[in-house]
Amino acid sequence: MAQPVNTYELTYIVNGVLSDNQTKEAVARINRFIEEHGGNVLETDEWGTRRLAYPIRKKRNGYYVNLYFQSAGDIITRLERSLEIDDDILRYITFKLDAKMLRHYEQQKSSAKRARAQEIDAAAAGRDDDDD
Amino acid sequence: MAINTPQETTEAFDTSSIEYVDYKDLELLKRFINEQGKILPRRITGVSAKFQRQLTRAVKRARHLALLPYVADTVR
Repeated sequence: MAQPVNTYELTYIVNGVLSDNQTKEAVARINRFIEEHGGNVLETDEWGTRRLAYPIRKKRNGYYVNLYFQSAGDIITRLERSLEIDDDILRYITFKLDAKMLRHYEQQKSSAKRARAQEIDAAAAGRDDDDD
Repeated sequence: MAINTPQETTEAFDTSSIEYVDYKDLELLKRFINEQGKILPRRITGVSAKFQRQLTRAVKRARHLALLPYVADTVR
């Protein structure tokens, strides 16, 4: 049963008309699903509510969530099935990260971290300029 | 020098630093679509074939997630 573990990226849109609590619940539900099936969520990035470029199921807004996790490949079909069934999820897309995408991800992470560190530094120093 | 000189290959965008075209990078993708939301052809963008292919895939992914429109008909 030892399957190779891959890194995956999942982005999905939660129905924008739900209340904050329902949205939070939906996000927690997905993360729980991954954890319960032996996955390891690396990072959950909630982009928040955005206007959709076109209406989906007559909704004009959606709450975007982008997350990265590690797991064996066999949970992906089940995960996608549960996303498909979930009425609160308007759209989703999953990727297995290949070497290129992994490098890209690492790069993004480190640059995001650097930006955050700089922000904190700037805030601590009580100034708001970025030198680089 | 040739008979078929390309009409206007606008300054080719420097793609050398980009290894993976991310569908989340909307600022980048928007440079390669027109007002209608169509992907610009390579003859206009002037990027490498490899980059254009990645770009096309990224735009299509972004469209699926409603980050970009499939059709943006600017009503005249």
